[in-house]
Amino acid sequence: MKLFRIFLTILRELADQNAYARHLSAHGTTHSGAEWRRFCDERFRARYRNARCC
Amino acid sequence: MLLFKRVGWLALACLGAFSLATIAISRGEHIDSIWLVLAAVCTYLIAYRFYGKFLAARVMALDENRATPAERLENGHDFVPTNKWIVFGHHFAAIAGPGPLVGPVLAAQFGYLPGTLWIIAGAVLGGAVQDFVILFASLRRDGKSLGQMARDEIGKTGGLIALLTVLLIMIVLLAVVALVVVNALAGSPWGTFTIAATMPVAVFMGLYLRFWRPGKVLECSAIGFALVIAAVFGGQWVAGSTALAPVFTLSAMTIAVAIIIYGFLASALPVWLLLAPRDYLSTFVKLGVIAMLAAGILAVHPRLEMPALTRFIDGSGPVFAGKIFPFCFITIACGAVSGFHALISSGTTPKMLAREPHALPVGYGSMLLESMVAIMAMIASCALQPGVYFAVNSPAGLVGQTAQAAVATISGWGFPVTADQMQELAKGVGEITLFSRTGGAPSLALGMAKIFARNGGGAILGFWYHFAIMFEALFILTIIDAGTRVGRFMLQDLLGQFSKPLGRTSWMPGVIATSAVVVAAWGYFLIEGVRDPLGGINSLWPLFGIANQLLAAIALSVATTVLLKMHGPKYIWITCLPLVWLVTVTFSAAWQKIFSPLPRIGFLAQADQLKTGPLAFNARLDAVVCGVFMVLVAIVLAESLKLWFGLLRGTRDASVAEAPFVPTQLASEEI
Repeated sequence: MKLFRIFLTILRELADQNAYARHLSAHGTTHSGAEWRRFCDERFRARYRNARCC
Repeated sequence: MLLFKRVGWLALACLGAFSLATIAISRGEHIDSIWLVLAAVCTYLIAYRFYGKFLAARVMALDENRATPAERLENGHDFVPTNKWIVFGHHFAAIAGPGPLVGPVLAAQFGYLPGTLWIIAGAVLGGAVQDFVILFASLRRDGKSLGQMARDEIGKTGGLIALLTVLLIMIVLLAVVALVVVNALAGSPWGTFTIAATMPVAVFMGLYLRFWRPGKVLECSAIGFALVIAAVFGGQWVAGSTALAPVFTLSAMTIAVAIIIYGFLASALPVWLLLAPRDYLSTFVKLGVIAMLAAGILAVHPRLEMPALTRFIDGSGPVFAGKIFPFCFITIACGAVSGFHALISSGTTPKMLAREPHALPVGYGSMLLESMVAIMAMIASCALQPGVYFAVNSPAGLVGQTAQAAVATISGWGFPVTADQMQELAKGVGEITLFSRTGGAPSLALGMAKIFARNGGGAILGFWYHFAIMFEALFILTIIDAGTRVGRFMLQDLLGQFSKPLGRTSWMPGVIATSAVVVAAWGYFLIEGVRDPLGGINSLWPLFGIANQLLAAIALSVATTVLLKMHGPKYIWITCLPLVWLVTVTFSAAWQKIFSPLPRIGFLAQADQLKTGPLAFNARLDAVVCGVFMVLVAIVLAESLKLWFGLLRGTRDASVAEAPFVPTQLASEEI
């Protein structure tokens, strides 16, 4: 059960869903389409500046 | 209890030694692939438990009570203390690219033994050490990047050269991985349709996430995966349609041009529309397929048909030319030692670690897992009949343009194969031909399909073959999208020094111009590879391997400097030994690629043979690129040596540039 929970958390982390939850909590706001788009714009800007591994 | 533990570790060591001995001394008989798995797993476990823990405890003195950058600089975005297994998953997903899959397949031309030994030993003593020490160094320096650490620890020149090397490597990397996709899709309507369909699927996912169901990434990825599987089935229908099959049966040059146009569009389009959704999908598919392959190998444990050593250890191999030393060690980079990993270890990962000791499983452990992926790729390719392997991976320019000529040449090498056998196999996987499908992807897909389909033939084999091609192409295209974009940012940063508008990522003319320059750079090498009568892989893969290993040499120079400043000369052997080995290997390989008198190896000899024309120019250009890599790394090494002698003589400042100690406030339940 614990393994499954970790597996699910890894999937949520890779899917940025955990990061989004942290973003909402850090900004003290709730989920909305506009908030998700704001989060994505920030996150993708940082992520796609780094080289990808071969 | 202690006695039981010791007996357990001793038993594991004996099993590992016996497995290694079995694969090393077996000659003239086929062995079970399970021996490779056992040898690798036992070695990794022992290396992790003893060498990894020694590095963590004695050399780095990882401190449970020291606050990490994730805690001290927590901002909710980049710096976030995260559970170690989540960081492990994140880090592994970031370092696992096509390299550990394609490199071992190409190196299988020497037989299974040289590549397997290098993957295991290289990872344990080189790759995992590099990733771990760089992660540790970045962790103690507020999550600084490799370039920043090179500048701080070695000097300004080191930092600048690290950045320049990354840009050059990326150009060669993008060209070579694009060539792998081109060679897999040329003349294959099934494969081409499937990959073409992933683009509208990605755009659909982008719109779904942006406007229809914002934030539902897992749900969206599941839908995307179902659509991609439908595209694999649809590809079979397209290949059987007399009207549609010709539309999707494209030449290598047409596919190359299409990928270049795609790379340009993907780099200039908003990232949420194509790149990000494809990235989510490819990450999940990649991890899923790796897990499936591991389960498949354990369930089927196929017999290795390839001998331990082939006649091509003499350097006359058809897949790429060159002897085991140094070419086996640059062909397999990512599965053993990869400089690119140092960029990940000094990128997102150090900003997420909640506790210093977590660097051991994440830095050292992830690389061992990546190495296991390379072992699985080696097994999948060596499980094929050697005659089939060479028929798929040998360029037509070498074995002949017709099926009869190719089978005669390959059988003449001592690896029997018939035209009927190849025809039947091609029909089984829904391809027109499997001759000369160079690049590694088709033979890996064939090996994987045989494992997945087990005893099933016909449609099942065809589905799994194209599923494997889809999996490889999907994440290679993600690398092309993201790599082109990163190259564009680097170029914009550079040009922004001279012209402010060109540096702005929101100024469309600047975006278009810089994207075009980056795409033109890797596109040129891609076209060169497609035109190459020897298949392109013979020239480009060694160039990429040399570049990647030279970046590892820069990373290990930084790591050695850090250890020297921390402990004096006591522990520098840990990073110096792999550094000396890599410098020897890469400089030997680069020297041979430039100056060997044999035209199949030496770029200049090849240019002399061709005399004039675009192919001769390309060979000279490859020689120049190879020479530039050597000079850049020689400068970093010279700077490092000067610094190390200064440190040893006491004439240089040995103070460690670490962030000051701050005790952690994180309770264990918080992570």
